[in-house]
Amino acid sequence: MFSRLLPVFVFLFAACALFAQSAPPSPAQEPSNQALLDQIQQLQKRLTDLEEHQRQTDAALAALRGAQGVAETTTAEKPAQVSAPAVPPGAGHPVETAVRGHDHAEIREATIHYPSLQIRGFGDVGFAATDQKGTTSGFDLGQFVLHFASPLSAKVSYFGEVSFTAEPSTYDVSVERSIVRYDYNDYFKMSFGKYHTPMGYWNDTFHHGAWLQTTISRPEMVKFGGTFTPIHFVGVLAEGNIPLGGLGLAYSAGLGNGRSSFLSKAGDSGDINNNRAWVASLLARPSRLYGLQFGASVYRDKLTPIPGQNFDEWIESAHVVWTKEHPEFLSEFSNVHHHDLQTLQTYNSQAFYVQLAYRLPWQENKWKPYYRFEYIHRPNSEPVWDITGTPSVKDLVGSTVGIRYDITNYAAFKGEYRNTRPGVNEPRVNGAFFQTAFTF
Amino acid sequence: MPIRRKIACGVLILASFSLLRSQQLFGQAREVDVAVVVQPDTPVSNLSLAEVRKIFLGDRQYWTANMPVVLLIRAPVARERDVVLKTIYQMSESQFKQYWIAKIFRAESVSAPKVVYSNDMASDLVAALPGAIAFIDSRDVRPGTKVVRVDGRLPGEPGYTLR
Repeated sequence: MFSRLLPVFVFLFAACALFAQSAPPSPAQEPSNQALLDQIQQLQKRLTDLEEHQRQTDAALAALRGAQGVAETTTAEKPAQVSAPAVPPGAGHPVETAVRGHDHAEIREATIHYPSLQIRGFGDVGFAATDQKGTTSGFDLGQFVLHFASPLSAKVSYFGEVSFTAEPSTYDVSVERSIVRYDYNDYFKMSFGKYHTPMGYWNDTFHHGAWLQTTISRPEMVKFGGTFTPIHFVGVLAEGNIPLGGLGLAYSAGLGNGRSSFLSKAGDSGDINNNRAWVASLLARPSRLYGLQFGASVYRDKLTPIPGQNFDEWIESAHVVWTKEHPEFLSEFSNVHHHDLQTLQTYNSQAFYVQLAYRLPWQENKWKPYYRFEYIHRPNSEPVWDITGTPSVKDLVGSTVGIRYDITNYAAFKGEYRNTRPGVNEPRVNGAFFQTAFTF
Repeated sequence: MPIRRKIACGVLILASFSLLRSQQLFGQAREVDVAVVVQPDTPVSNLSLAEVRKIFLGDRQYWTANMPVVLLIRAPVARERDVVLKTIYQMSESQFKQYWIAKIFRAESVSAPKVVYSNDMASDLVAALPGAIAFIDSRDVRPGTKVVRVDGRLPGEPGYTLR
């Protein structure tokens, strides 16, 4: 009998449960509303107590600071009206002790300790395929780069950059930058070491680490290992702001070794001749046009690529950039003037690039298409670029179109198509390039 | 009308009123100005918006030769940070992070702005660290700090830009 009624009981129990969940509030639930109101009142009371406690804490803190001689605040909306409570100084009031402990921990954490080394790594993996004869497609590991930054005191800091570049049988390790800097104030900072030559825009803005730049590669005129302009500079550099209204002027002036016998290298281990190179640049970032930067620079050196052969080198450079990403516009021009001191012949080579990019507003601003046009012209008779027998600078006309996708804040995918004509009467080269670049 | 229906109507009206009130409060919160505060010893009382931008971009790093600027900024999601990113930097969160990585490793700055997790913490640090500057909800400005005029205006005054 019971077993026959069991399903009925189960059904009734389930139906009651469902009804209880879906039915409108029954009179039996009315007291629960009252309980909720009671709870709200209790919470309000607790909030009032907490506010009162906070007020006491603030007052204790103000009294503590008053005792330490800290100046009063000035506020617009609510002038400081802190009534100092009767807390005897140093009495070890629990509130005061808690506040002081809290403050000290935060201050300890926020204070810079010297030295305070920060290391950041950059890496990239790429794939390249072109229709140029004699080349093969495939992956490459790019550069593995470590950046170091460490304040040594309130006014002295160190920056370093080391790169590891894959070679067929080994890795080429190179100190790319090593700078110790003394800041006197915003208007005068002096540093010593090895720099990326502060000339033009790209070379002084985008260092090793492909993640830092929009595109996969640098423009040919400033590419690493290139000889068109000196990428590195070893010596001393003075830099700072020029307080001249809203123009946002800044200067830099350097004296160093100049190029070594390998034109792509700086004289890390010493100068190749007794003539120092110098560089001076001036740039402006007008405050009314936030994002705009323009500037010009001059570089002077005496080259001795082969003992007994000397050339004077003058490089004039100018740039105009809009650094915001809606859009991003970069343009730079350089003229390299060589004067052969034996034949007294002069040669001028020019190069420029124009790059346009736009951070698309969709999908959390992750997509950034870009286009770059670049151009290099050199006289056929220019001897410096051919000094080693193999031309280190060629005439070039090229276009690059691509897109960057930022996977996260610290990693990006890039894909590019390039069409270049590397040399007069040379066939055009088409290439597809892909890269994932990241920082860690 | 059954008592249950009366209660339901009452709860509905109360809920609607609460929602309306909370929206009003939220709306007010969005309108509250953000104050630029510095330590009282800092030799500055009025900055143009361009100067504030220059400071927070790390292009001006010293108040005086012996007093470096110490930048403090609220952690992500805080309204003060949103105001700073939108008004001062004009950058997204990821652009802001990339900007400071690039800035430090261009050897132009020693460190990024220090992150603070509350207005109380910002006030404490501004009061304690010489040269510190921070953005704080103007209602939370506390003793021991000095509010800087921006383009000649204090928070709450007409034309104040940081909100």
